[in-house]
Amino acid sequence: MIGYILKRLVSAIPVLIGISIIVFIIMALIPGDPATAILGSFATPENVEKLNRDLGLDKPMIQRYFIWLGNMLQGDFGRSFSLNKDVLDEILERFGATLILAGVSFVLCSVLGVVAGALSASRQFAITDKLITLSVLIGISIPSFFLGMMMILFFSVQLRWFPVSGMWPIYGTRDIAALLSHLFLPAVALSVVATGVIARLSRSAMLEVLRQDFIRTARAKGLSETRVIWRHALKAAMVSVIPVLGVQAGFVLSGAVYIEMVFQWPGVGRMLVEAILKRDILLVQGGVVFVAACYVMFNIIVDIIQSLLDPRIKI
Amino acid sequence: MTRFIALFARSQLAFFGLIVLSFILLLAIFTPFLPLNDPNVIDTSNRFKLPFSEGAILGTDHLGRDLLSRLLWGTRLSIAVGLCAAIIAAFIGSAIGITAGYYGGHADNFIMRGVDMLMAFPYILLALAIVAALGPGLMNALIAVAIVNIPFFARNIRGVTIGIVHREFVDAARLSGMSNTKIIITEILPNVFPVIVIAMSTTVGWMILETAGLSFLGLGSQPPQADLGSMLGEARAAIITSPHTSVVPGIMILIIVMAINLVGDGVRDVLDPRLKSGALSTPRSTTEVSKNKSNTGLKNQILLSINALKTEFRIGDRILKAVDDVSLTVDKGQCLGIIGESGSGKSVTALSVMRLVSSPPGVITNGSIDFNGGDLLELSSEDLRAFRGKKISYVFQDPLSTLHPLYTVGQQLSEAIQSNSYVGKSEKNKKALELLKAVRISNPEKRLNSYPHELSGGMRQRIGIAMALANDPDIIIADEPTTALDVTVQAQILKLFQDLRREKGLALVFITHDFGVISQICDKVAVMYAGKVVEIGPTAKILDSPAHPYTARLKSCVPELGQGKRNLLAIPGFPPMIDNMPSGCAFASRCQKVKQNCYLTAVDFTNIGQERGVRCLFPEEIKAG
Amino acid sequence: MALLKFSRRAIIAAGAAIAFATSAISVTAQTPDDVLVVGQIAEPKSMDPATVTAVNDFRILMNIYDGLVRYKDGTLEVEPSLATSWTISDDGTVYTFKLRSGVKFHDGSALNASAVKFNFDRMLDDGHPYHDTGPFPLSFFFSAITDVSVVDDMTVKFTLNAPYAPFLSNLAYPTGLIVSPEAVKKHGKDFGQNPSGTGAFKFADWRSNEAVVVEANSDHWEGAPKLNAVVFRPITDANTRTAEMLAGGIDLMVEVPPLALSQFQGDGYTVHEQAGPHVWFLILNAKEGPFADVRVRQAANYAINKEAIVNDVLEGTAAVAAGPTPPAFAWAYNESLEPYPYDPDKARELLAAAGAEGAELTFYVTEGGSGMLDPVAMGTAIQADLQAVGLKVKIETYEWNAFLGVVNPGLEGKADMAEMAWMTNDPDTLPFLALRTGAWPDKGGFNSGYYSNPKVDELLEAARASTDQNERARLYQEMQTIVQEDAPWVFVANWKQNAVTSDKVSSFSLQPSFFLLLDGVTKN
Repeated sequence: MIGYILKRLVSAIPVLIGISIIVFIIMALIPGDPATAILGSFATPENVEKLNRDLGLDKPMIQRYFIWLGNMLQGDFGRSFSLNKDVLDEILERFGATLILAGVSFVLCSVLGVVAGALSASRQFAITDKLITLSVLIGISIPSFFLGMMMILFFSVQLRWFPVSGMWPIYGTRDIAALLSHLFLPAVALSVVATGVIARLSRSAMLEVLRQDFIRTARAKGLSETRVIWRHALKAAMVSVIPVLGVQAGFVLSGAVYIEMVFQWPGVGRMLVEAILKRDILLVQGGVVFVAACYVMFNIIVDIIQSLLDPRIKI
Repeated sequence: MTRFIALFARSQLAFFGLIVLSFILLLAIFTPFLPLNDPNVIDTSNRFKLPFSEGAILGTDHLGRDLLSRLLWGTRLSIAVGLCAAIIAAFIGSAIGITAGYYGGHADNFIMRGVDMLMAFPYILLALAIVAALGPGLMNALIAVAIVNIPFFARNIRGVTIGIVHREFVDAARLSGMSNTKIIITEILPNVFPVIVIAMSTTVGWMILETAGLSFLGLGSQPPQADLGSMLGEARAAIITSPHTSVVPGIMILIIVMAINLVGDGVRDVLDPRLKSGALSTPRSTTEVSKNKSNTGLKNQILLSINALKTEFRIGDRILKAVDDVSLTVDKGQCLGIIGESGSGKSVTALSVMRLVSSPPGVITNGSIDFNGGDLLELSSEDLRAFRGKKISYVFQDPLSTLHPLYTVGQQLSEAIQSNSYVGKSEKNKKALELLKAVRISNPEKRLNSYPHELSGGMRQRIGIAMALANDPDIIIADEPTTALDVTVQAQILKLFQDLRREKGLALVFITHDFGVISQICDKVAVMYAGKVVEIGPTAKILDSPAHPYTARLKSCVPELGQGKRNLLAIPGFPPMIDNMPSGCAFASRCQKVKQNCYLTAVDFTNIGQERGVRCLFPEEIKAG
Repeated sequence: MALLKFSRRAIIAAGAAIAFATSAISVTAQTPDDVLVVGQIAEPKSMDPATVTAVNDFRILMNIYDGLVRYKDGTLEVEPSLATSWTISDDGTVYTFKLRSGVKFHDGSALNASAVKFNFDRMLDDGHPYHDTGPFPLSFFFSAITDVSVVDDMTVKFTLNAPYAPFLSNLAYPTGLIVSPEAVKKHGKDFGQNPSGTGAFKFADWRSNEAVVVEANSDHWEGAPKLNAVVFRPITDANTRTAEMLAGGIDLMVEVPPLALSQFQGDGYTVHEQAGPHVWFLILNAKEGPFADVRVRQAANYAINKEAIVNDVLEGTAAVAAGPTPPAFAWAYNESLEPYPYDPDKARELLAAAGAEGAELTFYVTEGGSGMLDPVAMGTAIQADLQAVGLKVKIETYEWNAFLGVVNPGLEGKADMAEMAWMTNDPDTLPFLALRTGAWPDKGGFNSGYYSNPKVDELLEAARASTDQNERARLYQEMQTIVQEDAPWVFVANWKQNAVTSDKVSSFSLQPSFFLLLDGVTKN
């Protein structure tokens, strides 16, 4: 197992280096530079040039890339121009918030999606199935930013059930209850699309499994339908659902960008969008590499879970 | 094509989606010819007019532009952009996927690493960065959305290609000296194409949403041009005061994406080869029974009696009569063999007993199944469950697919025990061990923690039998339990059945296509052909002198131990299609002794004495026994 | 049946979850009465005043720091602050300030002449040990300074390389706010996270992307502020900010989106408005293309319905601009200037006379950006108006930083017109940096449309060198008349900044400087 993890980690290195090159090149190609962003309306070519020199951006691209990579390997992600802060500190701080939001949404969409999909499949063609299929379709067809704003207007402004935005109350204790009340709307808004995708997938995986011989065996044994569907069929269906959960995690993370913007969640997605707009090169580069590393890690974890679930897979 | 449409129309939702989508597409195509206001004419004093106001059916936006007109023009643009993005992504992604899958090795490794990179890059940020680099504009948004979706296609298509690359026809093409490019185009592509279409149809909607998302971030179309995303983005500032300006494009996006998804699902269902045979449908827990009246024959004390059983498969408009008017009996301790070619209805008969025939499409349309004097077909699913595994249990053919791959042997055994009555954990373990011992499994303690795939075929079948024994049933129905096993193991399993029968006084229904097997353990045998019992009687007598020509032919197909070299004659021809039964004898066309009459009318089952019956107008002479 | 059982269990579980969630709702804490929560438009970049450029950051900084001078309440005229008095040499190059005695920074160190010298040397002297705490993007505000010297403990002298009339006004700008040298020495590059000034509020806490909290400075030289604390919350999304205001999550909201203003017309809120030194205009490429002809430039000014833009697109949050100088600079503004009227016929006439009918124009529009109001909608409306008089306008939108990247180097060869807006603190700044011949992009200025009129150049140089306000006023007013006639820009709008307060907040008013001064505000 440890050998496997090490092997996977090693094979992730070229991927991460590739990503660092891609993001570096993209950031170099984007018109507008950090100096212009810092100087705003007062960015004369002269001021821009001076500031770029101060920021070390006048060096050749390749040299800059290797300086950045070298520093990063030593744990120094550099300093953000726009936030005047250490990039890694900022990423870690923001990533915690994203992890909570995306993590809860991910759990929410996985559980809801799988249950809805399984329920739908087990009652194929019944009204339950049609209702679930339809709501799932609506779910995956609603732009999440639109849904988020509508939820704020209804639940926060009209009903005042939940706070509008942010992660913690401005005053008062920072306990789990306070977090939950802030988390509820964004987590729901974020999980809707992924719930739909996972539900659809689970449904077809369940349909596939329910026709398998071992389900007939389970029924022939006289097991209850509950057990047949929620234990035997679901467990087998998870084998094809779980790898997709890994991919969905990436989508949830990406979807978090919109949701973090609408709900002012202090997460890494919003940070990256703002950083791109402000041409905060080091923050974008560091953030993207960090997020990609997490994604790779997450997929290793998914594969390990998969192997734990399915004894036929040896890792 | 008509079949395609017919299949498609069967799914009401997909059909509905198609109608909606066609309507929207028609609107989009004919937008330039509709009597609409100019979508770009600004009239700021008439801004934010509500829907249904005069001169603007859907109201006006923040600059007083007509929303209906903008909506239709915007829809036109958004659909075009979504389609283009899907086509571009599908084209490039598939090319990459096929290349990687076809060439394999380093090329594959290298390409897939690249794809991994794109996948690990949060896609919105990638799109955002691409658009920032290229500059805003719908064209660039389209490119960005296409690029971020390439990995999706590349991965899927690569997977499918790898599955095809080692198939015989590709090898053949290679041996014939075709160039790689030619093989890809003529051999691989046609086989991958349906998958590409499926993937595309399911992603077009997603593309429209993503483009809308970019437009929402202000990176899409250039004013004053309307697309749905930029309409939504521009209306965002007024979402609190004039929500209709965002609701209108929002709902349009919703409808389009939903319709596309419905159609996409429909296309997938139709093109998916596994589904061509019929609906991808979940079998219910019990076979549907749809018969007019309870026509239980005479009540008797026989353990199990199947009377005039009719089981059909209803697939679309076709009705397949899998089991037609079958009557059988098994008494305590007896062993009944059912023999026939595949498709003869023997398995369906067996499964009908506990109503385990997949339903849909299976329906029991006639007859009764009397167990200890009560008709099992009258029971509710829940009541029937009390019989399953307890009174009547099954052993299935392929133990690898019939055992749950993800549970250990111990778990599956204890589960069977548990289903009877509440038994404590240690007791269950003890019982499970006993069962393993009963089926002569060596080292049973260790086997309890094994998974099915870790066991040999014979061992797995023993587990299947152990499971069937768990609750001391009255009858075990064994559906070709030895077919998947090699000969020596087959012999061991048969011996096990014999032993168990003796020890426990079990009744056994043994389904097989092998007279050798029948001869070893069955007291009596029923021969089935095309859903009907064609001959029935004590095993020894039937083996000795078969009455039905089919039985005779079947018997001669089987090498018998100790009989030395013999003519093994295959039966020429094929059984009739069960959805197209001849009106006369179903075997007539293959029968060597066929006469004119055989084709004319249905043949009745006749008793020919010595506990034997046959369905033949001109049965063989039987030896008096 | 079994399935039903399951569903029932699921319902109970869901019910429990909802109950848990609703119990969480009740804890949304109320802010205490003497704490004001301000909805800001973005996370501040830094709280080091020398390093920031955004109005958003200024709103916080003006409450933590004081400058040597400041703008008098409700005006853009300079009055004493940390300096109690000053003298200007006759040639206008030496400024000597007397400092207020007994003023202490929040970290306890004392304000004195060497502290002031430290502040300006840090920004201007490349060799200063703390110059690396920059970059200092607006240091050119003080580029005229050649020397800052300590005369005595409480007297500091600035020597300029030439007379520079906007100097005092620039000192009142946030770039001129005085920071504690001790704190800079202690925190170095992280001073921006650990600010220390002399202002009415002390920095207390900065929770990244959540809030900046400042607390009352009871030792402030003007007396303690009424509020106990102020919380600045960054809420970048305007809709979310509006929703927070409606839901009671913030007490004061700045930069209310024009469309949302109608939500706050009721009793629970007060809407504040204040015209500021802002002008929103279109740069016209006077070097090449149709706009090289002054008649076409004038035609554009006639063709655009500015009334409709300010009243309908901007919902009355701006006024029609008449010339390059906003009326907020009351003393320098030419009252006799009338905006170009909306007159499409006249525009068509001028176009016909110039032979520019049907000309094709490229129009750079930005997505957003500081002071740009609603640039896409405004650009779209302008496009439609120009279209109506027969000009074919193609819009290209750019996100703000890319926009600056294409506009600031000049429009030559790329575009005919571009949106732009400036907020300044002195009537000198905008015309000097964006209308002079010497301010063409290749000469390091912002005159991206290549307007050139020797008379205007002369007037601007003269106004900058004069220290007599009346003299300067006369020069600026003359400049405005000429520029309006030459129409190097389409003068579109002067923004009236706005804010909404809840009914709990009183004694609040907006400043023409766009700063947010909270020391007199109360909340109950």
